[in-house]
Amino acid sequence: MNRTKKILLVLLFVFIAIQFIQPAHNKSGQLLPTEFAKVYSVPNNVLSILQSACYDCHSNNTRYPWYSNIQPMAWMMARHIKNGKDKLNFSEFGSYSVRRQMSKLKGIANQIKDDEMPLSSYKIMHKNARLSKTDKLLIIDWMQKTADGLASGN
Amino acid sequence: MKNIIVGFAIAATTLAACNSSNNKTIDAKQSDVTHDTSMATNNTVGTQATAAATSTAFPAKEIIAGYLQLKNSLAKDNGKDAATAGNTIVAILEKVNKASLSANQMKTYADLQDDIKEHAEHIGANADKIEHQREHFEMLSKDMADLIKTFGNGGQTLYKDFCPMVGDGKGAIWISEVKEIKNPYLGSKMPDCGTVKETMK
Repeated sequence: MNRTKKILLVLLFVFIAIQFIQPAHNKSGQLLPTEFAKVYSVPNNVLSILQSACYDCHSNNTRYPWYSNIQPMAWMMARHIKNGKDKLNFSEFGSYSVRRQMSKLKGIANQIKDDEMPLSSYKIMHKNARLSKTDKLLIIDWMQKTADGLASGN
Repeated sequence: MKNIIVGFAIAATTLAACNSSNNKTIDAKQSDVTHDTSMATNNTVGTQATAAATSTAFPAKEIIAGYLQLKNSLAKDNGKDAATAGNTIVAILEKVNKASLSANQMKTYADLQDDIKEHAEHIGANADKIEHQREHFEMLSKDMADLIKTFGNGGQTLYKDFCPMVGDGKGAIWISEVKEIKNPYLGSKMPDCGTVKETMK
């Protein structure tokens, strides 16, 4: 048995071993009263884009694909979801102060405008997260209008 | 066998890609640690040099100074200095002694604190993305205007400037320590776009 084969065999064992360590799933199943769609009257077309392109990492309910059960993918996803929820969590949007909500709405518009979000690594596996120009404009416009509404309400 | 090798190659690349995207968070955490230590030294210096009175007062002057440093860096199109200023603001906010605030001040500060901190953190973490820094600077400037309303101008005359050409055609404000217009949103592209809207004495 040569060296390369030995190394590959070790790697294979490690690969199999880590399959038994699975992080907890981000799936609360319940809708909180702070849920984005409960705090704002979000038009259906806007909401469905947000749900399909953003909610996997930015809410308490991720739709897990089949490969999410294969390590190290599961760890990678768990980390992305944690980071995503720290920055913006649509399930808890109503718990942010009005000022923060306004910042978040503008931030969402800016991130989409600048093509920073959805992440390109996410778009590789999720076709419906690749937003068309019309989709982008729809989201940006709605977010900005809603933010301006909050600003004038103060 | 070939399949397994390919499989590992894919796993390795995804892991590597994932790690590189994660470096930023680690960096941010490390800089937090640095701030913590600098904070600690500042505090000791503070207690040694002056009475407790200065360390308990609200650091409006310091926050404004950090903001002005940020504003001037953006006006010079310098994202790196802007990031440093952003991190300075975060460090100052972490020092604020909330127990010293009146009920009214507390209400304003509780509302402002997280927002200012988040914008400053984003500016601090994006030294190479000046346009992203400017997006956060726009929101931060509004927070600063509100902060100055409640906590005063820190003893210096400040000007609230407005440029109608930025902020998606809606215009945006910023706070300046000089009467002369130096636009932090457009920098060298259009340094003198804007007018003084208000003098904050």
